[in-house]
Amino acid sequence: SSSPLSHGRSRLQESGSCSGSGAEWRQPGRRRRRQVALAVALNLRTFLRLQPHSNGKVDLSLPNIGIKWAWDVARLQLLDTSFLEQGDITTPTPELVEKLKEVAGLPEDCAVTESLAVLAFLYLYLSICRKQRALPSLDIVVWSELPHGAGLGSSAAYSVCLAAALLTVCEEIPNPLKDGDCVNRWTKEDLELINKWAFQGERVIHGNPSGVDNAVSTWGGALRYQQGKISSLKRPPALQILLTNTKVPRNTRTLVAGVRNRLLKFPEIVAPLLTSIDAISLECERVLGEMGEAPAPEQYLVLEELIDMNQHHLNALGVGHASLDQLCQVTRARGLHSKLTGAGGGGCGITLLKPGIPGVGGPGCQPGLLRGVHLENSLERKKRPRNRSQLCCVALGKLINLSGSLLSSLVK
Amino acid sequence: MLSEVLLVSAPGKVILHGEHAVVHGKVALAVALNLRTFLRLQPHSNGKVDLSLPNIGIKWAWDVARLQLLDTSFLEQGDITTPTPELVEKLKEVAGLPEDCAVTESLAVLAFLYLYLSICRKQRALPSLDIVVWSELPHGAGLGSSAAYSVCLAAALLTVCEEIPNPLKDGDCVNRWTKEDLELINKWAFQGERVIHGNPSGVDNAVSTWGGALRYQQGKISSLKRPPALQILLTNTKVPRNTRTLVAGVRNRLLKFPEIVAPLLTSIDAISLECERVLGEMGEAPAPEQYLVLEELIDMNQHHLNALGVGHASLDQLCQVTRARGLHSKLTGAGGGGCGITLLKPGIPGVGGPGCQPGLLRGVHLENSLERKKRPRNRSQLCCVALGKLINLSGSLLSSLVK
Repeated sequence: SSSPLSHGRSRLQESGSCSGSGAEWRQPGRRRRRQVALAVALNLRTFLRLQPHSNGKVDLSLPNIGIKWAWDVARLQLLDTSFLEQGDITTPTPELVEKLKEVAGLPEDCAVTESLAVLAFLYLYLSICRKQRALPSLDIVVWSELPHGAGLGSSAAYSVCLAAALLTVCEEIPNPLKDGDCVNRWTKEDLELINKWAFQGERVIHGNPSGVDNAVSTWGGALRYQQGKISSLKRPPALQILLTNTKVPRNTRTLVAGVRNRLLKFPEIVAPLLTSIDAISLECERVLGEMGEAPAPEQYLVLEELIDMNQHHLNALGVGHASLDQLCQVTRARGLHSKLTGAGGGGCGITLLKPGIPGVGGPGCQPGLLRGVHLENSLERKKRPRNRSQLCCVALGKLINLSGSLLSSLVK
Repeated sequence: MLSEVLLVSAPGKVILHGEHAVVHGKVALAVALNLRTFLRLQPHSNGKVDLSLPNIGIKWAWDVARLQLLDTSFLEQGDITTPTPELVEKLKEVAGLPEDCAVTESLAVLAFLYLYLSICRKQRALPSLDIVVWSELPHGAGLGSSAAYSVCLAAALLTVCEEIPNPLKDGDCVNRWTKEDLELINKWAFQGERVIHGNPSGVDNAVSTWGGALRYQQGKISSLKRPPALQILLTNTKVPRNTRTLVAGVRNRLLKFPEIVAPLLTSIDAISLECERVLGEMGEAPAPEQYLVLEELIDMNQHHLNALGVGHASLDQLCQVTRARGLHSKLTGAGGGGCGITLLKPGIPGVGGPGCQPGLLRGVHLENSLERKKRPRNRSQLCCVALGKLINLSGSLLSSLVK
């Protein structure tokens, strides 16, 4: 699964885009509590199918982005991978990534997306399988319902799937499926190990991510993130969120740098703004915690006010976009409230759907944690119904374009 | 006692930054507008006090003798009488307003009566006057029309009662009062504002009295030195709104979400201070980087005002239309409709360059009515100049300006 961030986009913590050491902004002479972010899992998933090969190769297919690679296991086995042996969890430094590039044999003109996906795979494969007597010959296919580069955590979901699958193959974690099980999850300790490796995969791809994306993808549900500490929100309510993809591409690093520059240029103006955003996250967390199975209208009203205020704050930080303004206006005309999610400058937006809006499911949606990474019984998979009404924060599984066609049919 | 005609005029104002936050103790910047309210006062011989406000169709008259007989002891509370609700109620009886009188009309009448009875209280006999007030300012658009009205009334009545001298000298086209006189005018104008608005901040009457650019915080008002020659486009969305409701809404949001809104007000305060700093550094030919900063401040403040809940779709439209032409806008005043300001910078087609000479925009002043016709209408020596036309949001004037 993957994670749109719902609130608390402290730009300095944006996953994958902080430059340098990721040192937080600090007002001279004053320690600051770092910003709180809230993220929820989305029911758009990435799937990985792994099966043993008998051809002495490692095959990696990513049909979504047209990647198809293969390596000879024997050749990989001969490589000097001592650079990976740095304790239990190897930290991917830039030098390590460079060495991996040599190993991968990537062509000069390889697209960035493709090369990072390949490198992350190789990193995880070589590191996790390092202790095996022989590197396993595997056939791996990964496909996804998530668009790439839209702030929805697709790379984290990819890393989580890879980590979980490889750790299971290498028997570092058990296979939790029992007889008759359609699907099952790993234990808490196993999930922690999966998450640790997934985070390293994220670091290969993004450089200095916050860790939120892989955490949500591993554990599911709703998470609170602050200063590297991640905790689950207890009893997150059954909310429905409409996800809209503006299809406007943007560069996360540039947007994050722009906010940092604005903070440096106008510290007295921007610092309190970040404080205000932090307070919005905390208030949202509080309201979510109080919402039971049938949230009251006043509680929805509060969530909507928080969404509006945060959206204005994000515009004030300079990460807005005309397409997002349009989303907000279109939804506002129907009594709904939206904000950008993620880096902004385009990308995706979220709209809170509330009961009573035509087309929106009522409290029949049973509350329950949105599942994080899990193992599916491939034989059983066909029988499982596609609509998983027991999900918690449900995203309508379609990404709509901004023509609003799906939106208007939904809320006619 | 006066024997000649008095012609007084006072400007309206726009808030550059700090609206709403100013109510909560933050800094606001306001500049005078070259749209003015005019008052002509002449002595009457018919024993009446006539008040005409042609803009809003008000025409009232009272018998001086009848007013003289009233028990106005409720006004005698020292030098400056504070208009309490009880006092306003008593004034209503005095005014003889009908039940169905429009609010605008009754408040204008009450403010006049209050100032007339209070300022002229010390005269042996209440003067018989003919007063006409007209204005270039629309009412209720956040441009300080009621303050300009109160300032004109205060200045005229104080002059009639010789509490302040007539500063016009021979050959003068126009002249201003001294600093001390302006302070007295402003004090009374503020009371007039209190009759009309209940609990105003005092910025409007201060700008209308002194002109130029002012900084206001918690009752302390100071002039910005050397404000630069900026051109501002003023747009009236024509969307009516209730200032008290909008102000109350912000207060409610602050009470509901103190940890969210309080830092937001702090941020707005910082925007005002940064704007003041930049304006102080701008000389006669501001640099492009300085305009860029002013534009960034405008954008951020507009988002903050939206976050406070005082935005409106019409204002969003203004911002989008101007943004499409590379210009930056924000609401001015209460929001929820009303007016918006757009910063015009040199290089935009149709915008005048630095030929605009800097100088303080005049506050209230006395005009020589005989000379008035000769004075040219475009006063290029003004400082923060608003293009004197209010345009509607169809953007027709805007597009002709920036084609």
